[in-house]
Amino acid sequence: MSKPIYELVDELPTGGITVMALRSLDFVMPGEWKNLTGFTHTIRVITGESDESLIQKIGERAVYLYNDKSQGYQRALWLYQTVDSAAGALGTAAMANRIGQDVSFLGFLSHLTPKPEKAQTIDLCVKLVVELVAFCQINGIPGDSIGDFLGALADYSGESLLRMAALVCFDGVLPLGADFILKGLSTLDKLTPAELEGNQTFKGVKSLIPGGNTKGQLAFIQQSFDSTQKWMSELVNAHQLTSEKVSSQLQNFVEISKDKLDYLGAFLDIAVKYYTHTGTQTLARRLIERATAEI
Amino acid sequence: MNLTTLRKISFGLCLTLLLFLASCSAKAPSRFEQAQQDSTQNKVSAVAPKAEQGGQFNPFFPPSQFGYERVFVQEKQGFAEAKLKRDGKDVAMLSISDTISLPSAAQKYQGSATFIAGYPTLEIGSTQTGILVAERYQIKAISRDPSFGQAERQAWIQRFDLEGLAQLK
Repeated sequence: MSKPIYELVDELPTGGITVMALRSLDFVMPGEWKNLTGFTHTIRVITGESDESLIQKIGERAVYLYNDKSQGYQRALWLYQTVDSAAGALGTAAMANRIGQDVSFLGFLSHLTPKPEKAQTIDLCVKLVVELVAFCQINGIPGDSIGDFLGALADYSGESLLRMAALVCFDGVLPLGADFILKGLSTLDKLTPAELEGNQTFKGVKSLIPGGNTKGQLAFIQQSFDSTQKWMSELVNAHQLTSEKVSSQLQNFVEISKDKLDYLGAFLDIAVKYYTHTGTQTLARRLIERATAEI
Repeated sequence: MNLTTLRKISFGLCLTLLLFLASCSAKAPSRFEQAQQDSTQNKVSAVAPKAEQGGQFNPFFPPSQFGYERVFVQEKQGFAEAKLKRDGKDVAMLSISDTISLPSAAQKYQGSATFIAGYPTLEIGSTQTGILVAERYQIKAISRDPSFGQAERQAWIQRFDLEGLAQLK
């Protein structure tokens, strides 16, 4: 049985490397993110209510909704957790690859591990699609038109917006450079279904990606990347994002020695679980909003 | 005081300290534990199979108007919710839910003495106004900003297509 939703929210860290890395993105969206932790505290902050019996009812309804598997909330959390742990595996592979380049007698490692740039690009695209799928699992497809749906997506704020900013910064700009969108488009253009099949992050979440088969799923990933590239490039341009800028902001919060900078991307993959952290917060928010409206 | 007495006292002190530490580290049960147990029993679901699809509710929501922008945010079985924004800021949430999944949500209107368009209404907590349409569909307006108070909540509830919703079968 999975953990109760109140435990998941109660156990969200208030400090540590994930929270520090997320705080380092404050320059991209100043004051937008409050690290909301603790289940009852989250209910109080979101609803603005202080009546304990009302808070109890809201919490109980949220628990029921989360535990009803047909409602998709557990699947959404699973998606967030899975891309984080798959990215961790990718980070390990990328580190091995890096060592492979540095140390000749370990040269064979570079044949065993994927080229970091390509793997990073696929990783970024799969994470983006996971966001879209998790959004639909949590919120359904709101409204009656594509316009309504896009309106809901454009309404990203708080921890959801931060998750997207982290995706652009930590999985795009930092490992691939400011032109990561072009690199992404060109990689996706040449990518074969077989190569996609071989990607660890994709393997983890394949069963929930729309498209039928791997070929269809690749097309879905290409479309998703294509439709969000404008938003991503606006973010990059608005803040003049470069890998140096992201890494120097990050170093204000997380201590990394200069000679280990090469490993920063891989290190982030392993150590920072930002999809799970902010995903749990998004999920809790939506559950609480629904519970408040239904009771 | 002889050595044996001293040993007895120190043993007692150690035991007390141990019990104290144990009680500190034991996690207090959550106030939601009962709900967790009840909702993970076999065949318990949060949403009734006969609940209307959320998309059925969309046409009854009021459109964007008077400088407020309506943005649909959730559409699940038995539930639809939209946000009201003004100057880019969230000011309220509007929702319709099917109480077939949660009969207690409908029962609370039984004692209501106030009505909007003939349907019983309630003030809930300090931020919510609710109304029960056709003894089944609950509409709520929930404030998210001090600029949106009880009067605004009641006004926006009246802007829903209440008659249309009452006809939904």
